[in-house]
Amino acid sequence: MGIRFKNVTHEYPSYSKKTYKAIQGINLNIGTDDEYIALIGHTGSGKSTLAKHMNALIFPTLGEVEIFGNNIKSKRDKNINYNNIRKRVGLVFQFPEYQLFEETVEKDIMFGPMNFKKSEEEAKKLALEAIHLVGLDETYLKRNPFNLSGGEKKRVSIAGILAIDPEILVLDEPTSGLDPEGKQTLMDLFSDIHKKTGKSIIIITHDMDLVYRYFKRVVVMKDGRISFDGTPDELFKSDIIEENHLDLPNTIKVLSYIKDKFNLDINIYQKIAEEAVQEINRVMEYE
Amino acid sequence: MNSIIIGQYIPGKGFFYKLDPRTKILSILFLMISVFLLENITQLAIAIGIAIIILIIGKISILKVLKGLKPIFVLLIFTFIFQVALNSEGAILSSALLHFNIFSVLTSIVIFIIWRLLLQIGKFKILLFFIFVLALYFNFRYLSIGQEFYSFRLTIYEKGVEMSIFVVLRLLIIITLTTILTLTTKPTDLTQGMESLMHPLKKIGFNSEDFALIISISLRYIPTIFDEAQKIMAAQASRGADFSEGKLKDKMKQIISLLVPMFIIAFIRSEELADAMESRNFVPGEKRTRINILRFSMIDVYSAVFITLCFIGTILLRVMT
Amino acid sequence: MNIIEVKNVSFAYNEEKQGLKDVNFSIDKGEWIAILGHNGSGKSTLAKSLVGLLEPQQGEIYIDSVKLTEETAFNLRKKVGIVFQNPDNQFVGVTVKDDIAFGMENLCVPRETMLERIDFFAEKVGMKEYLDKQPSNLSGGQKQRVAIAGILAMRSDILIFDEATSMLDPYTKNDLISYMKLLNKEGFTVIMITHDVNEAILADRIMIMNHGTISAFDKTETILKQKELFIKSHLELPMALKIANEVKNNKIRNSLWEYVLKM
Repeated sequence: MGIRFKNVTHEYPSYSKKTYKAIQGINLNIGTDDEYIALIGHTGSGKSTLAKHMNALIFPTLGEVEIFGNNIKSKRDKNINYNNIRKRVGLVFQFPEYQLFEETVEKDIMFGPMNFKKSEEEAKKLALEAIHLVGLDETYLKRNPFNLSGGEKKRVSIAGILAIDPEILVLDEPTSGLDPEGKQTLMDLFSDIHKKTGKSIIIITHDMDLVYRYFKRVVVMKDGRISFDGTPDELFKSDIIEENHLDLPNTIKVLSYIKDKFNLDINIYQKIAEEAVQEINRVMEYE
Repeated sequence: MNSIIIGQYIPGKGFFYKLDPRTKILSILFLMISVFLLENITQLAIAIGIAIIILIIGKISILKVLKGLKPIFVLLIFTFIFQVALNSEGAILSSALLHFNIFSVLTSIVIFIIWRLLLQIGKFKILLFFIFVLALYFNFRYLSIGQEFYSFRLTIYEKGVEMSIFVVLRLLIIITLTTILTLTTKPTDLTQGMESLMHPLKKIGFNSEDFALIISISLRYIPTIFDEAQKIMAAQASRGADFSEGKLKDKMKQIISLLVPMFIIAFIRSEELADAMESRNFVPGEKRTRINILRFSMIDVYSAVFITLCFIGTILLRVMT
Repeated sequence: MNIIEVKNVSFAYNEEKQGLKDVNFSIDKGEWIAILGHNGSGKSTLAKSLVGLLEPQQGEIYIDSVKLTEETAFNLRKKVGIVFQNPDNQFVGVTVKDDIAFGMENLCVPRETMLERIDFFAEKVGMKEYLDKQPSNLSGGQKQRVAIAGILAMRSDILIFDEATSMLDPYTKNDLISYMKLLNKEGFTVIMITHDVNEAILADRIMIMNHGTISAFDKTETILKQKELFIKSHLELPMALKIANEVKNNKIRNSLWEYVLKM
């Protein structure tokens, strides 16, 4: 089950009569559980378009997307409850300004669950759980979302989708604009959710350090196609990085520099600063 | 998303595109007044003839102009019918007794259903409409079976037909004139033209320059706002806001979930934009030089002369007859 | 040569929100200054005060030795150009050409001169082919470049970038930063406000702000050595320094510092 892209192409109509293929020939399988995928690629590579297919916000022009057994094709199918799919696949967009609208944080988080037919009491409970999950305390519930800082707004928008309790979570740049602590809190949260519930999580990001540190699988998009689908290690050891105008994680860059400058036999593939330090210290003990 | 064009500006060549927007605005104004001064169909017909010749010289596709008339087509039909029905002067052209009885009403419903079904084909919608009206006419005129509960005499008078043709033609000309204006003038040029023409209003305290700036900034943001609306709808749809279904109460909430973010974004935008403009030395009401300037050329002079002649001509025509 | 001098400036938005508290510093002509700080530290308040958008309740600001007041603001603004964070909310013109012209129109620059400068500066920021394009057809990075052209055309020699790259993707960020480097080399004074340390280390001096005050303002290298300050200010050190601070070998530590400062 999960999400399966079968030869999907999506064309946007363009004013100049030439249609624009945002994504083409996409074949991708995402399992219902245990997936932890980073979706990366340059701007315009089709990441957002791909993400919007995952909860049936947009339909493929060619090919089909199978979501939890529902076949989404270019034509609307009366037998499919598209709204229901959005309960099972939660998609959080990058800018909370496009989502927050209620007078209080609590009401805003409750909007999602209540759209999916939860009662007011149930929705309130879900809101309370969700606000804690994103690292904010109850006092935030009665506050006006528009008086919050950028980072707090971000977390509230994520809470709004967590409250719906989707089976698969898709997030577009959830950590952009957050300070280092905020980034860590959120990434630890997603890891937590993934470990405890086994839910599949897909995150669009530009941060290679995060990709290397947290993810099991990386999908790289370029010019509307998938150019890589594998583990972060495989990615960073290959040429794909250069070909796709992508950056390497800072740990690898720094260790490469040291390796070349001092001609050391260092394993440059370390994921976090602490591991890099350990590796350097280890090698230098023998020098 | 490429820009939405107001009144369907379509880039092109031809002398209409080369005219200064001020000439076009004033010409359209005076031509419209002239048209209202004309009194009978013959004069209108001459006016239309001249208009068609001008369109051809200006290389404007008459097809495009007619396409611009599509939205008001129904309005024209109604005007025509209205005039015909109300006017009772002159000789009687036709007189028909319309019979309303059970049979004629039933068959009229059948005719209606057939019409709706045929519309599904998608083509010949206008033709089908006419056939529908004719069918109804014949139905009520000739199907007089059984007990009549109402009858109506539809009389068409000579003057009625004349007047309605006159009114419709006049409407057509007016709309064509404005279509030509919006078809051949960029929205920003139009704004600048109006700004220039409204300059004298500065004396009574209305600053046309600032006003025009507001208009052009608003135009610039239309595609941006459209994009944002899409993004907001996507974000709310991801939370289960189904913009097509739901009870009234739910629909209200969904609309609010779309409108509130739009307003907030608009407020933030206006604050940030004001800061940006002020930091670039903008002061409302102060003199500014302009990068885009409007310049008259010989084409404008010829056009102005022509329009003046037409205008004077129609006044004389009116006075002398 | 002091081009900007800030003396005892305080500014409060209201009773609860204090923007700046007794801020003092000066910047020399041609310097590249980075202002680092968490959200709400007062960075943007400072930026807006420097262009006269906000009037401090206490203290004085001098630009090129002239005191910034309501009367002098118009003239002083010509010298200071600011690029804001949101590319869409500062693009005024209907086309690229119109937007670059906007500032010059406000300064009553004659039309011939405007046309020359538009051509020159559009070319400089790589937007010459886009002069007739509308903003809805431009990317964020392109719009920011147009903004830069616009303030250069006003002949500003102090350029403030208020988180101008934060809404851009990494590739475009680097693009924009390379323009800043270029301009600084040509002699422009660059003030870059950011919360990204990796951008800040390009500067000659770094100012760290915390809750409306300046916690430190010193040469880049000196600032980077203050680990505790970074933690206190909710900022993250560059990866190379995180590693450098913990490795035992001196040679490696030194070369890691070289790596950071050369970047």
